[in-house]
Amino acid sequence: MLAGDSDRYAALVERYRDRYARYAARMLGSADAAEDAVQDAFVRAYDQLAQCKEPEKFVGWFFLILRNRCFAERRRNRTSAPLEAAESVAAADRTDGGAESAERRRALQLALLELTPDQREVFVLKHVEGLSYGEIAERLSTSVPSLKMRMHRAYDKLREQLREQR
Amino acid sequence: MLLAFALPLALLLQQAPIADRLRGRVSPEIAALATELGTAAAARGLPLDPLIQKAIEGNAKGVPADRVAAAMRLVVSQLDASHTALRGSPALAADTVAVAAGAFALNAGLKDGDVAALSRSVADAPASDVIVGLRVAGTLVALGVPPAETVNLVQATLKAGRPAGELLGLPGQIQAQVAKGTPPAQAAAGLARAAAAQSRRGPPPGRGQPPARPGPPPHP
Amino acid sequence: MSEREFHSFVKQLLDGDITIADLPAELRSEGEEALRLLAAVDRRPVQLDGLTARVMAQIAEHPKRKFWRRVLQPREFRVRVRPWLMVPALAAAAALVLWIGRSGPPSSPASPALVTVRFVLSAPDAHEVSVAGTFNQWNADATPLVRTDAGVWTATLTLPAGEHQYAFVVDGVRWVPDPAAPAVDDGFGRRNSVLTL
Repeated sequence: MLAGDSDRYAALVERYRDRYARYAARMLGSADAAEDAVQDAFVRAYDQLAQCKEPEKFVGWFFLILRNRCFAERRRNRTSAPLEAAESVAAADRTDGGAESAERRRALQLALLELTPDQREVFVLKHVEGLSYGEIAERLSTSVPSLKMRMHRAYDKLREQLREQR
Repeated sequence: MLLAFALPLALLLQQAPIADRLRGRVSPEIAALATELGTAAAARGLPLDPLIQKAIEGNAKGVPADRVAAAMRLVVSQLDASHTALRGSPALAADTVAVAAGAFALNAGLKDGDVAALSRSVADAPASDVIVGLRVAGTLVALGVPPAETVNLVQATLKAGRPAGELLGLPGQIQAQVAKGTPPAQAAAGLARAAAAQSRRGPPPGRGQPPARPGPPPHP
Repeated sequence: MSEREFHSFVKQLLDGDITIADLPAELRSEGEEALRLLAAVDRRPVQLDGLTARVMAQIAEHPKRKFWRRVLQPREFRVRVRPWLMVPALAAAAALVLWIGRSGPPSSPASPALVTVRFVLSAPDAHEVSVAGTFNQWNADATPLVRTDAGVWTATLTLPAGEHQYAFVVDGVRWVPDPAAPAVDDGFGRRNSVLTL
């Protein structure tokens, strides 16, 4: 690999490494798990760089690679992630006075982890990342009606989970 | 990086956080300046975050190195000035969060004397509220409220014994009045008068007065 | 006892298609429950400092050998131990929260330590807009705004209490302070917007 290519890729990584960090963190339950997934995704993207046809679309193409990593990560770490979710949220909030809202955030994150990855993803893209259904449909190459069906199922499961947690 | 290995461990431990936070985000020259200025500043009890943020900001905005260096030196001088202005209140002067808040207020347009005056509000309110007061003061000046009216309003609000949340609402209230055509100075003076009237009525329950209904006295 | 599923009107509320005022009285409390659920969403920015170095180091190793190792050794669950020299993954946001916490008693209930903030900029002619500030290391690529109809761009973040400075970055090159916010000198001849939480 030429030194120049490596520098150019490092600059790309530096530029975009935080862009989907929040999406990964909410999909996987912790910033630590997100870090692993984003790191893996960037390495894979490098290996597959030849397949990225349009350089201007690197970000969108990278997102799909990261998405796959997030889905794969969840399958592997199913039993362990909830513990990390509690630690990483608690670590950030332990000195503030908003213990109640921190607890609610943690509870919702745990509930999110009980959804299927598809349900969790549509919830995260709409309610964390702020995308519209139309934008999500375009990004995931699916239809708005099918997304709404997924989301509405997610709302019910979250409600059930939050009640069970109490 | 190579330089780091040549330094003794204690110095390394102090400098490593600065270098870590700047790695890949600024030029080596700015990183070196940040480490030099930051280490000395930390030894004087000043916070590092404003300096590091300024270096990162300059790089992100594509500002030439000499301009970034000048801005960094300005940040340090503002931190020093804040530290001095807070000297009358040991609790604040020793608190890096307070020093940073004071520096923000100075950068926004308050004078050293204004920051010193606000620091004396520790006689009326907890230090953590006075720190919020310093931040809010800077924000009010940034909105166009003259320093004298700003200091007056923040002091009056602290003295009235209201919770910090109310301080944080002041900029919004000023903005709302300005939007309707009231000059900022006048808007601030009006809010200060209202706060002073509240002072005369007494602080809200929970700050030392018994509740209106008979019952056990509140915990202090 | 009560319904397991949200009423379809409440789902429309959750989707943002209607407001709570549009709900019939008997669905009001279910609507409030739904809004409480949304209020618990964690929108804090996440920063992955140090990631670039780790990615490039991994790439520098022979890629094929790395793949073999992963196939042969099952991935173990590991708790990441962070030496104090390293900045935690939650980076600036977490650091600010801890920073404030050290100064004295926790903030009063009237001023929560984390606040959800919506950034809004009307820029109908822009192709892309992002917000960069002290909460995301001034990274113009970290927090893009989403364009709604009528050319209004928005982004929602959850930020810790404290003083934040920021500016919008339009089309990747133009740094624009928020016209609706107080402004201070940035030390480089421009102005930054201020957000005091």
